[in-house]
Amino acid sequence: MQLAVELEELGTRIIEASKFLEHAEEELSQRIIGQRDVIRRVFIAMLVNGHILLEGVPGLAKTLIVSTFAAAMNLKFQRIQFTPDMLPADLVGTMIYNPKEMEFYPRKGPVFANVILADEINRSPAKVQSALLEAMQERQVTIGSQTFPLQEPFMVLATQNPIEHEGTYLLPEAQVDRFMMKVIVDYPSYDEELEIMLRSATNASKVPVKAVVHSGDIFQARTLIDRIYVDPRVQRYIVDLVVATRVPAQYGMPELETMIEYGASPRASIFLLLASKAHAFLQHRPYITPEDVKAIVYDTLRHRIRPGYEAEAENIKPSDIIRQILQHVQVP
Amino acid sequence: MLLLICSTGWLPASPAHAGKGVPAVTMMVTPDTLLVGDRIHCTIQITNPDQDVASVAWGDGVDSLSVRTFEPVSSKHISSSLHSGQSQEKFELELAAFGTGQQLLPPFTVALHDIKGNITKKIVYKPSTMVFVRALTDSTMRDLRPVKPPQKPPIPLLLIMPVILGVFGVAGLVLLLLFMLKRVVRKSAEKVDSGQVAQRKLRKLGSSLSAGMPPHECYEELSNIMRSFLENHYRISALEAVTQEIERDLKKLGIAGFESIMNLLKQADLVKFADSRPDVEESRQSLHKASEVIRSTRYFRPHDQPVEADEPQ
Repeated sequence: MQLAVELEELGTRIIEASKFLEHAEEELSQRIIGQRDVIRRVFIAMLVNGHILLEGVPGLAKTLIVSTFAAAMNLKFQRIQFTPDMLPADLVGTMIYNPKEMEFYPRKGPVFANVILADEINRSPAKVQSALLEAMQERQVTIGSQTFPLQEPFMVLATQNPIEHEGTYLLPEAQVDRFMMKVIVDYPSYDEELEIMLRSATNASKVPVKAVVHSGDIFQARTLIDRIYVDPRVQRYIVDLVVATRVPAQYGMPELETMIEYGASPRASIFLLLASKAHAFLQHRPYITPEDVKAIVYDTLRHRIRPGYEAEAENIKPSDIIRQILQHVQVP
Repeated sequence: MLLLICSTGWLPASPAHAGKGVPAVTMMVTPDTLLVGDRIHCTIQITNPDQDVASVAWGDGVDSLSVRTFEPVSSKHISSSLHSGQSQEKFELELAAFGTGQQLLPPFTVALHDIKGNITKKIVYKPSTMVFVRALTDSTMRDLRPVKPPQKPPIPLLLIMPVILGVFGVAGLVLLLLFMLKRVVRKSAEKVDSGQVAQRKLRKLGSSLSAGMPPHECYEELSNIMRSFLENHYRISALEAVTQEIERDLKKLGIAGFESIMNLLKQADLVKFADSRPDVEESRQSLHKASEVIRSTRYFRPHDQPVEADEPQ
């Protein structure tokens, strides 16, 4: 059975255009053992202009993943360690007085880069978080009276530690919602850990990361992703999943009504569709199937569902709620 | 009306024949008011100048068969003493009162005995002491009290028990019948071969295709039939799963015809999600393939637990 001609042609182009990701993945695997899912999510976010919130305990190579990714993708990388005494100017930049010319000129902050690692974003006060999240949303920064557009591609990967909350500033729901995905970085497997240990426990210098991607590759991939076919059935499936987080009783889950305080916003539907398209792109497919949706639904919805009091009392996590929704919403 | 005649001191009782050598008799009565049936206590003191021994008896000269107002209950000689040549004797008697209203105490007889015990003299005394005997019922009550309706005797438990046991027995029988009916229905449902059901649906679908059903709709239906068959036959949740999840579950089971099943599902996915438009001939071939696959897998039925879908990532 043949695909429609346009899709056939799109499929061929996708296979060609996605080769750079295979090269990047190969390069990343030289430095990073395991964490394949996290790397894939980073690719997905980059392909559809999204941002990622990485959550995991310290020492799981979150920073290494991001820095290696930026180097392999030939993108400018900036790591910003968020601290309680940080100011928005430390992030976006400030006006500096030049005594020779007797005038102020803007000094751009670390946010002017392609890949930003906002390390421990919840350690800074709300005003700094807001400054970064505004830059994420608007993709431009105003210093003094001048507005500067941020470089493209622009991607923020923020990290936060799930176990240490003392002296932190919890990200408000409205700000968390701006992250396309919240990816949980888990411990490596036994074999992976063995390999990590053998590779890292040496005094030899690390293998330098080669830039294997041209900046044009990313933009070409984005153009193709926009053309990926989405059947109305899949469109409805995506909306069903998101709406089910708001009115679970309508989908045969009345027990979830008290478990969910707030469901996902319409931004979730948008990001779920975009991420599904990027996932299909990674699978070299010119169309989306429910598999693509299911593959990234946990990362796209988990930070957009606020569990209610009963759910917290019964230790029910957003992932459990999403699992139940997936079991009840009919797959097309 | 209360009469206090002799309750507070000793009063002389008047003999029927008073004179010299006649003993002096005094009497004390308590209480002066009592209810019908209650007892009055009488203490009689006899002072005898002749030093004869005295005895007391009630009721002499009274018809013993008639209903008497006072009935002697007991009689006791308490003490005997000698003072200045005269003997003094005390008797304590109890009388039960039966008449109502103001009553005069009954006469009693004092008998004097010599040393040999012979009665030397017998004197009848009529006391002037009066007591007031109250009736037990309230005299002001004029109306009859309403009569309570007779109570029905409670039904004995032994009579009810057979009924209760009968009800429980019938209920148990009904439950048993329902349980057996359910088992029979379940067994008969299990006997229905999911393969046969799928084949019947495929035949029906083939007829619809011949009747002009659009091929893409045929694939959609084919996908549903295959998923339903896989769910019932292999006990995997195929209806809520995507093709990749079905592929993973079937791989775990290691069934025959795995490739063919996956090809059919993937073809159906192309039609459903990639806007692919197959022709009638392709649809017919797919139906034929599906029929063959179901036939070839009908004897493979895993008895494991249903395969659980894992969370991706």
